[in-house]
Amino acid sequence: MITITINGKKIKLNKPVTILEAARKSGIHIPTLCDHPMLEPFGGCRLCLVEIEKMPKLQASCTQQVTDGMVVWTETEKVVEARRAMLEFLLVNHPLDCPYCDKAGECDLQDNTMKYGPAIGRFKEGKRKHPECYDDPIIVTNMERCILCSRCIRMCSDVQGADAITITNRGNKSYVEPFSGGRFDCEYCGNCITVCPVGSLMSRLHKHTYRPWYIEKEVETICSFCGVGCSFVAQIRGDSIVRVETRPDLGLNKGLLCVKGRFGFDYTVSSARLKSPLIERNGGLKQTTWAEALSHAAGKLKEVKEKYGPAAIGAIASGLCTNEDNYALQRLMRSVIGANNIDSTTGFFYGPAQRFFEDIFGQGATLNPMQGITNSDGVFVIGADPSAVTPVLGLQVRAASRKGIPVVTVGHMSGLKRFATCSLNPDAFSEPALLNMLISGLMKKRPVCGENIFFEDIIKKFMLSTSDNISDACGLGKSDIDKAVDELNLMTNPAILIGRQVVQRSDASVLLLQLSVLIYLLNGRIYLISELPNDQGLVDMGCQPDTLPGGRPVFSDSMRKRYEDSYGAEIPSAQGMRLMEMIQAAHEGKLKALYVMGENLLLNLPDTGYVKEALLKLELLVVQDTLMNETAELAHVVLPACSWPEAEGSYTNFEGRMQHVKKAVHGEAMEGWKIISEIAKIIGVDWDFLTVVDILAELTKVSPVHKGITYSEMDSGNCLWPYNGEPLRDIAKDFVLPDTKLIKREKCSGRSYLSADQQLFHSGTIGRNSSALNLLMPASYARIGSALNEKLSVKTGDTASISSGVKSAELDVIIDPDIKGMMVFVPNTAADKGALSFMKWSMNKDFKNPALDGNEIEISKLRSKAEEVAA
Amino acid sequence: MNILLKHIEYPESTELKGYCESGGYKALSKALDMKPSDIVDEVRRSGLRGRGGAGFPAGMKWTIASMDPKKPKYLICNADEGEPGTFKDKPILEKNPHLLIEGMAISAYAIGAEYGYIYLRGEYPEAKEILEKAIIDSYAAGYLGDNILGKGFKFHLFVYFGAGAYICGEETAMIESLQGKRGQPRIKPPFPVNEGFLAKPTVINNVETFANIPYLVEVGAYAYMKIGTPESPGPKLFSVSGSVNKPGVYELPMGTTLREIIYEHCGGIKDGKKLKAVIPGGVSTPIMTADTLDCPMDFVNLPKYGSMLGSGGLIVFDETADLRKVCLRITEFFEHESCGKCTPCREGVGWLSSILKRMCSGEGKPEDVELLLEISKNILGKCFCALGDGAAIVVQGFVNNFRPEMEGRAGAQA
Ligand SMILES: Cc1cc2nc3c(=O)[nH]c(=O)nc-3n(C[C@H](O)[C@H](O)[C@H](O)COP(=O)(O)O)c2cc1C
Ligand code: SF4
Ligand code: SF4
Ligand code: SF4
Ligand code: FES
Repeated sequence: MITITINGKKIKLNKPVTILEAARKSGIHIPTLCDHPMLEPFGGCRLCLVEIEKMPKLQASCTQQVTDGMVVWTETEKVVEARRAMLEFLLVNHPLDCPYCDKAGECDLQDNTMKYGPAIGRFKEGKRKHPECYDDPIIVTNMERCILCSRCIRMCSDVQGADAITITNRGNKSYVEPFSGGRFDCEYCGNCITVCPVGSLMSRLHKHTYRPWYIEKEVETICSFCGVGCSFVAQIRGDSIVRVETRPDLGLNKGLLCVKGRFGFDYTVSSARLKSPLIERNGGLKQTTWAEALSHAAGKLKEVKEKYGPAAIGAIASGLCTNEDNYALQRLMRSVIGANNIDSTTGFFYGPAQRFFEDIFGQGATLNPMQGITNSDGVFVIGADPSAVTPVLGLQVRAASRKGIPVVTVGHMSGLKRFATCSLNPDAFSEPALLNMLISGLMKKRPVCGENIFFEDIIKKFMLSTSDNISDACGLGKSDIDKAVDELNLMTNPAILIGRQVVQRSDASVLLLQLSVLIYLLNGRIYLISELPNDQGLVDMGCQPDTLPGGRPVFSDSMRKRYEDSYGAEIPSAQGMRLMEMIQAAHEGKLKALYVMGENLLLNLPDTGYVKEALLKLELLVVQDTLMNETAELAHVVLPACSWPEAEGSYTNFEGRMQHVKKAVHGEAMEGWKIISEIAKIIGVDWDFLTVVDILAELTKVSPVHKGITYSEMDSGNCLWPYNGEPLRDIAKDFVLPDTKLIKREKCSGRSYLSADQQLFHSGTIGRNSSALNLLMPASYARIGSALNEKLSVKTGDTASISSGVKSAELDVIIDPDIKGMMVFVPNTAADKGALSFMKWSMNKDFKNPALDGNEIEISKLRSKAEEVAA
Repeated sequence: MNILLKHIEYPESTELKGYCESGGYKALSKALDMKPSDIVDEVRRSGLRGRGGAGFPAGMKWTIASMDPKKPKYLICNADEGEPGTFKDKPILEKNPHLLIEGMAISAYAIGAEYGYIYLRGEYPEAKEILEKAIIDSYAAGYLGDNILGKGFKFHLFVYFGAGAYICGEETAMIESLQGKRGQPRIKPPFPVNEGFLAKPTVINNVETFANIPYLVEVGAYAYMKIGTPESPGPKLFSVSGSVNKPGVYELPMGTTLREIIYEHCGGIKDGKKLKAVIPGGVSTPIMTADTLDCPMDFVNLPKYGSMLGSGGLIVFDETADLRKVCLRITEFFEHESCGKCTPCREGVGWLSSILKRMCSGEGKPEDVELLLEISKNILGKCFCALGDGAAIVVQGFVNNFRPEMEGRAGAQA
């Protein structure tokens, strides 16, 4: 126990902290500038000087640790004078342009000067000149206002791990600058803007559009971009979001955001925003009334049901929509239509992966709190680069690495390159070979212990079956494998992060079983890299053809009964169609009506040409969405739904945390769940949902896990799976070993394959409607490595022609020396040139999801950038 | 007095052969037969104080670092000698490189360091070549390497070339720079002796401090202490510049008076002029008036005369010197060299120099001198490191000791 006295007040502390922390804890305010709760102490601004008895000099309270018996004074004449002096110094080179500066009103320098600074300045000589810089599309820098607190630098290097900016020059000629010169060319997380105490780093997007005191309302809500579920405060003026801001103590992101969350929210006001219902007339979509649109949709649904039976109707739910919307949609399908044909793109990866691991490790096995990553003793990442698709999750991996925790990555991962202690980059599609070698290596060091006989039996059989079929060839040397095994062997409770690429392939079940073995051997905790804000919610809300809300199997009579009683309708016991099965059925003319909610099938499904043919054969295509898109263009009825900031609801993130999404602005459209219940009513079923509270109330009654949840419980931040309910205990023991012959491949080297690029700046579906994000990544591209470029000899910026069996297009090339082999990476952010539109697929027989591996692609040089410029 | 510069009188003093012939590397051999802790004790007993400016007892540093259980440990030689008026490490670096290598090897053995770095001032390219050659020769002769003199001691030594920032002479900024970062001082504690280079225990000493070690080990603490004064024992290198007849580097016992240095060793003031002022220890030590000539040059006595020993770089001014210009020049140096980390140094010192510039160009105002004092007071004691504080006391020194001239009322212009 340490006792110190500050301003005569005795303070007891359990552990040594800085004087500043001790003062804050006991409510004593010490002004600061360079200190920031998200950053390590720096000690540069000297504003926080305090007087300590028996020390001749004033000390910086942000860096000085307390010692027992220390007596501190924070308001003596000496301290007050020193503070005034520091503020006077800080204004020596300051342009005093507060009337013109956007930061005025929320500027730490301005506030502190008003409170503690001198009344007049004595500096008469000339000031440093450094014109405001507009070289970057997003960040404006004004280095005349910079107080060189280095908060931005510490954020960018020590927290974000991007190392994109630095202080250039020395002394009073110093200024902050990106390494790349004028443009930042960085990760654009904007976290440097968050911590800049003055108007030196500002977002260009809302520059000079308002003043901080014009903010009319602040709403704490959840980001709509990915499955991490970061919290932020949306600041509203004139019924529109002008900016989102974080708080160091808010949400699980604790003040951090990524580029999408911070700058991408303007998709909600894009010109593609749907405002009124549309109906297909004379081959075109025409504006109509809600009454007509709803009755048309409902009437046609009823008609199709009567004519072809409920099984001819399907629905696509969406990980971009709230739990409430998704719950309503599955309720419509199950209780009004009477079919289990409901699925979403979450069924391409997240759903099946979760199911696979739950079958082995029990329900909830993949739902682990995010902070577990930095508290683990190892990290293993495969299948996606979390620092690109779920950036704030990626930051956890970077933080773990910075703490000295070993990080092993498998596959091309630019964002973790500098953080992995061991990066394994095997040949295309040879992950099974690599994993087998890792497992065998590890089992030699760590034999199985007999803890789970059931699973160890599976391991034995599986390893026997793989020995014939899996070669050792993955393009990596023995020393690489040995090093990786040694690293893995250090881990006793690692975090295992798994992304989409291990599941969207024909040998997915083998890979997942291999990963399960690894997880078992390492005693790992699973994290599924959830790319959409509500992947988990889709699973939990029963938007799968084989599960009811709460993740209960639809074939279970007792479970079905529970829902049937509540819905007053019979639910078929047979599993419904999965998404790709519905597309196939539509193509074959068996599926007649499709209700698509919040999903652009012509962007996010492979072989879009085929998908389009299928959709065109439908008798009814209802699209309920917030933005006009390629799928909606084909619809018979388009129903504009409230966009993310316009409605109340909830998302469930990858940890299984339910979070409250709040209404921040008014919208012209209708809430998604409400559209659905209106349709149910027109069909003739009495739904009495008046607000989302009613939906949540029903869910909490019927779902065995979601017991008694309220929105205020979500607001507390601790609404975590299994909530207040009971997880499913009896796991199926009749485990079917995957067919390891699946993985026998002809050698892939020497051929080019297409893969979807993992994009930091974009999320495709909604992100491409954000003008801010489009500034950063205006067009699609093909990213290739040096090996492929030996054949192609192009330069970044040159144009290439790429073609697959189903599509050809022109794309600009980016050369990325880190890419191994002949892979071609194309982002899936533009519908006409998205990666998926080029891809053929086959149905994975275990998961009924599209397998996208082995998509060969031809690429050839078309013209160089120089020629283009000359022309 | 001929200990630190002893070898340079021999022909080919930079060569290993010349150094060994004049008795070099005997101390290393002797040291390797001693217990490391005995060497540390010996250095502690000798009272040897760091020669880089701060005068911190070397033995104390070594003791703390050698007791820290963290491994590996590092040894760094501060050869960044960047302060105007200080050039006393230069003759060792350029003429006596093996003395430094031997001193470092002994120190490394004493504290248990396996790796050492010489952080060399970027403006000393000749020294770089000489040191690098000397290191190669020492490896070949078994004075460096994995098994030094066959006695199982391992020590590897590297030269790191600075990029011209004075602040990198400050020990923690030096470590940052060595780690490839921007040269800015670190928060202390933790001190380098516990968490220095790569967060491992690190001893940093000045070139001259290391150069004292071979002799100290050879003769023992008792004999060593016979040189100099009881509080500041040992020989000291003084670099003398300015208005003297024989400027240069002199090796003299600690405690030699200013008068003796200027008038006996340096042959008095140039052209028979009158002495006006002396800066005794590099430009970060306050200027002294001509009536302080009897001050003994050591760590204890100079503070009594309002200044400090610093690095021992004397700058002598005669009656014709324009001290306002001198003060401006020095302040501009500090402005230029301020790393920019902390507010008072970065902004305050620049302010001081802009006022002084105005004063020197004839646009001074009566209140300027008071303002200089005010600003200096606001800087002093509030900076992150000693650079900013140094600038403030220097300006105070000029104003307090030569106020009429600083105010432009009297002085040298006439
Ligand atoms: C701004 C600044 C510059 C310094 N420059 C040097 C230098 O050039 N050489 C040096 O030996 N010490 C320099 N020092 C002192 C070092 O920080 C450190 O005290 C010294 O290297 C310790 O070695 P010693 O104990 O052997 O003197 C400087 C200190 C400061 C604050
Ligand atoms: S936006 Fe993010 S990555 Fe870019 S400079 Fe700022 S902190 Fe670094
Ligand atoms: S730009 Fe802002 S955060 Fe960065 S050093 Fe300057 S004032 Fe501090
Ligand atoms: S006093 Fe401050 S600004 Fe000056 S050199 Fe030291 S840390 Fe840098
Ligand atoms: S807040 Fe302590 S020095 Fe800046």
